[in-house]
Amino acid sequence: MVDVVVPELWPLIAYFLAVLGLVVLMLTLSHFLGQRRRDRATDEPYESGIVSVGSARLRFSIGFYLVAILFVIFDLEAIYLFAWAISFREAGMLGFIEASIFIGVLLVGLIYLWRLGALDWGGKQKSLEQRESVNANNGK
Amino acid sequence: MQSDTLTRKQPLPTKTYALAARAFLAEIRRNANDAWYQLQDCADGFPTLWTTPGNVIALLRYLKHKIPHPFAMLYDLTAIDERLRINDYGRPQGTQKPDFTVVYQLLSVERDLFIRIKVPLTENALSLPSATALWPNANWYEREVWDLFGIAFDGHPHLRRIMMPHTWKGHPLRKDHHARATEVDPFTLSDEKQDREQEALRFRPEEWGMADHGEDSDYMFLNLGPNHPSVHGVFRVALQLDGEQIIDSVPDIGYHHRGAEKMAERQAWHSYMPYTDRIDYLGGVMNNLPYVLALEQLAGIKVPPRAQTIRVMMAELFRISSHLVFYGTFAQDVGQMSPVFYMFIDREKLFGIVEAITGGRMHPAWFRIGGVAQDLPEGWDRMVREFLDYMPARLAEYEGMVLKNKLLQKRTRGIGVYNTAEALDWGITGPGLRATGLDWDLRKRRPYSGYEQFEFDVPTANGGDCFDRCVVRVEEIRQSLRIIEQCLNNMPSGPYKSDHPLTTPPAKERTMEDIETLIQHFVNNSWGPVMPVGESCFPIEATKGLNSYHIVSDGGTTSYRTRIRTPSFPHLQMIPHISNGLMVADLIAIIASIDFVMADVDR
Amino acid sequence: MEAVTEPSVLATLLNIGGILLAAVIFAALLTWGERRLLGFWQDRPGPNRVGPFGLLQVVADMIKLFFKEDFVPKFADIPVFILAPTIVMIAMLMGFAVLPIAPGIGVIDLNIGLLFFLAMSSMAVYSVILGGYASNNKYALLGGLRAAAQTVSYEVFMGISLMGVVMMAGTFNLREIVLAQEGGWYIVPQFFGFLVFLVAGIAESHRLPFDLPEAEHELTAGFHTEYSGMKFGMFFVGEYLSVILISGLITTLFLGGWLGPWLPPLAWFLIKTFVLVVFFVLLRAAIPRPRYDQLMDFGWKVMLPVSLINLLATAAILIS
Repeated sequence: MVDVVVPELWPLIAYFLAVLGLVVLMLTLSHFLGQRRRDRATDEPYESGIVSVGSARLRFSIGFYLVAILFVIFDLEAIYLFAWAISFREAGMLGFIEASIFIGVLLVGLIYLWRLGALDWGGKQKSLEQRESVNANNGK
Repeated sequence: MQSDTLTRKQPLPTKTYALAARAFLAEIRRNANDAWYQLQDCADGFPTLWTTPGNVIALLRYLKHKIPHPFAMLYDLTAIDERLRINDYGRPQGTQKPDFTVVYQLLSVERDLFIRIKVPLTENALSLPSATALWPNANWYEREVWDLFGIAFDGHPHLRRIMMPHTWKGHPLRKDHHARATEVDPFTLSDEKQDREQEALRFRPEEWGMADHGEDSDYMFLNLGPNHPSVHGVFRVALQLDGEQIIDSVPDIGYHHRGAEKMAERQAWHSYMPYTDRIDYLGGVMNNLPYVLALEQLAGIKVPPRAQTIRVMMAELFRISSHLVFYGTFAQDVGQMSPVFYMFIDREKLFGIVEAITGGRMHPAWFRIGGVAQDLPEGWDRMVREFLDYMPARLAEYEGMVLKNKLLQKRTRGIGVYNTAEALDWGITGPGLRATGLDWDLRKRRPYSGYEQFEFDVPTANGGDCFDRCVVRVEEIRQSLRIIEQCLNNMPSGPYKSDHPLTTPPAKERTMEDIETLIQHFVNNSWGPVMPVGESCFPIEATKGLNSYHIVSDGGTTSYRTRIRTPSFPHLQMIPHISNGLMVADLIAIIASIDFVMADVDR
Repeated sequence: MEAVTEPSVLATLLNIGGILLAAVIFAALLTWGERRLLGFWQDRPGPNRVGPFGLLQVVADMIKLFFKEDFVPKFADIPVFILAPTIVMIAMLMGFAVLPIAPGIGVIDLNIGLLFFLAMSSMAVYSVILGGYASNNKYALLGGLRAAAQTVSYEVFMGISLMGVVMMAGTFNLREIVLAQEGGWYIVPQFFGFLVFLVAGIAESHRLPFDLPEAEHELTAGFHTEYSGMKFGMFFVGEYLSVILISGLITTLFLGGWLGPWLPPLAWFLIKTFVLVVFFVLLRAAIPRPRYDQLMDFGWKVMLPVSLINLLATAAILIS
């Protein structure tokens, strides 16, 4: 198996080596050509010209984790769909029905998350007009 | 012991204003406790009440809450160092000469009336109760007074320097503080000093009562500015962030402070004119206007109609120019790249007209005490008419490009919202106030420089959000075009400057005929005019809101004290109130929608 | 038969060198082309001083980048800091390997070409995330976070949006997909797939209106705040490479690749790709930037359902 694959792949490997060479060349050249300077503020991170307080290594809000989880879930499902897409002629009507159910479940899951508020990011304000209409509705 | 403001010799600026002032005085005399206040005689027709440190908060509360048509806005709060004042002007009889006076100026939008409250202080007891509980915008004003005069406000939540570096020694607007760099040792910046200064600028969350972590995440403290592309100059907001959500924010100003008020005390009345241009540096001659109006009011100079109309035309041209910069940068700050380029092309055309008329572009310093510097050049009308024909089509194009853009609407609608009551509480004026639905424009409410003769509408909007602040300004451009067109069609003939002896530069025609006029011309040219003793303040509707120069003259060739009340200063103070809870990107939209320049904030 | 169509070693090497050079040169030219085009649309000249039409500006910029200080901050995570910009360069250039430019032009003809492209394009995001995180700078961190959330969200339906094409062509092989379009471009039957992929493509290349990770008005320079010299240049060139790559891929998948009458195939491919690149630049000139949450909303609540439904509809039509 390996013997069959490798000869076909050599252009890709050659190309990869060429790309790698180019990138290394760019990095080395700029490393040696560029000037060097050390000033008082060189080793301070840029924060609009003010000495920074606290570090940029923080525990992030759970919201970012949620995005990652959503990605894992949906992207994993997407991979099943890839497999189905390439072979759906072979899978035939049965496969189509199964895939429909699968996509249906995905969509329902999405709607569920949506209703749950998992897809809401960031705070919202209302303009004065919107506030008034809300108040008017509450009044009714 | 009351001297009525209405017994003065000079006429009040306008009739309606006089009526409002009279009504107020009658009312306060009827209702208020006499022990609280005394009335002062003033050149500008601001009813001026003197009170004592013990009574001031009660009086302010009364004026804000108890009377009908209350004074809802703290328009300005400043102080005067009285110690070197020779002429004891305006102080009610029977009171002791103070060392410092703290001055509150209030505005009632229902009465269209400004009033002034003065509190005398002696050097050994320089403190007052804080008004922050009454008006949130008193916060920065009191910090400024503390910073520049060293007058303390008891009960202030964060009484610390605001304009000067925290390492500064002394209080600059005191008369015993040096005014020029040459009066002290040359400036040097050693490494240690640099470290010290930088350390002083470091944001300390604990000083503002901010926690460094929430329930399930750490908060990030981020300095947005002073060196940042979207803060329109050197403005800093220290943010407490949870991810990208703003938990709390602390705006920090003073990076553009050049001591314009202190400089006024060292410049002749006339030679201070170019400094005013550089306050709101997008407003050009619009800045000259409140300064010359205040001085003309003080000196009793009547400006001829042609000069007035030229002033109105130039001021409106600069209003358009300033609003165009706003419009373009507003779109740019929400990520739309192109409009600003088109608008700068229009602005360039405007500058072409300004240059043809004044010789300058951004800072023409072209108004003079008593009129303007020169008559209009030949062919000015053709240039202005060309612009009037050209601009409306461009505005229609921008409307489709910017205002009707759905993405821009999504970014700016319902963001940075405040209502009229909040606006008045925070001292918001100009388009920011009118975007809350209040139809209040000083040009209509208290016309000056002949605005009462022009037909124009006051645009308003009802959403009070970023988008509406933009809509109002865009409509104001159209109204300004209308005003300019009326100037063009009805430009009066006659002199472009008053023949009053205190006008600058002094008239030269008769100098070669008798020695008296020659001497007067020489003296007025070399020393500058001597303004009569008095106090004068003349608010105008500038590009960004209400702007005024409160001038105290001690009868000399320079000002004794010049207080520049700028609109941008209180506007910035409101940022935390309207942006906490939103995202960083919203803060940028809010900053863009406020339309400020840092020179207008820091002076 | 295999032996006859198999290109010679020399031809393949020429292909490798040629495509690599062409990709880099076109990306470099695009830095000039974009500024000229933006200038054209914004009533200003753009760079027009160096050489004819300002073309040598590209060379000038390159020299400048090489001679700039190659700054590696001490406070950064140094190996990752250096590695980050190379990832986007390598991933994007590798993406070109499977691009079927014309018959006989192309590095390799993989039967999983499309998947290879998807893999490479999702590699690119590591560049931004790592660059942002390794900089140890708050603005960079926020940019990196934005990039992570944005790319991850748009990744999901980027693949799904292409499955309609895969179904119609019955293959992941990009050359065969082009050949399958001889009867008609897929942009017509797969219009929704095209739209979704276009949006996802812009998001993947971090171009306005999806340039939130760098959003200079908000985060100064976002993830590359601490980068300078050629390392910054690599992010920059990487972005332009991805613009060209995405345009090339849209051409391949939806616009019939090199197919077209009269002109040689290579010309057709270049013309179609160029039109798309210009469209990318025009977008930048015209559109404001959405907010982070609006972008996420749009992805999850509009694009994902549309791409799923498009997939189902395609299958339903094909199967009946």
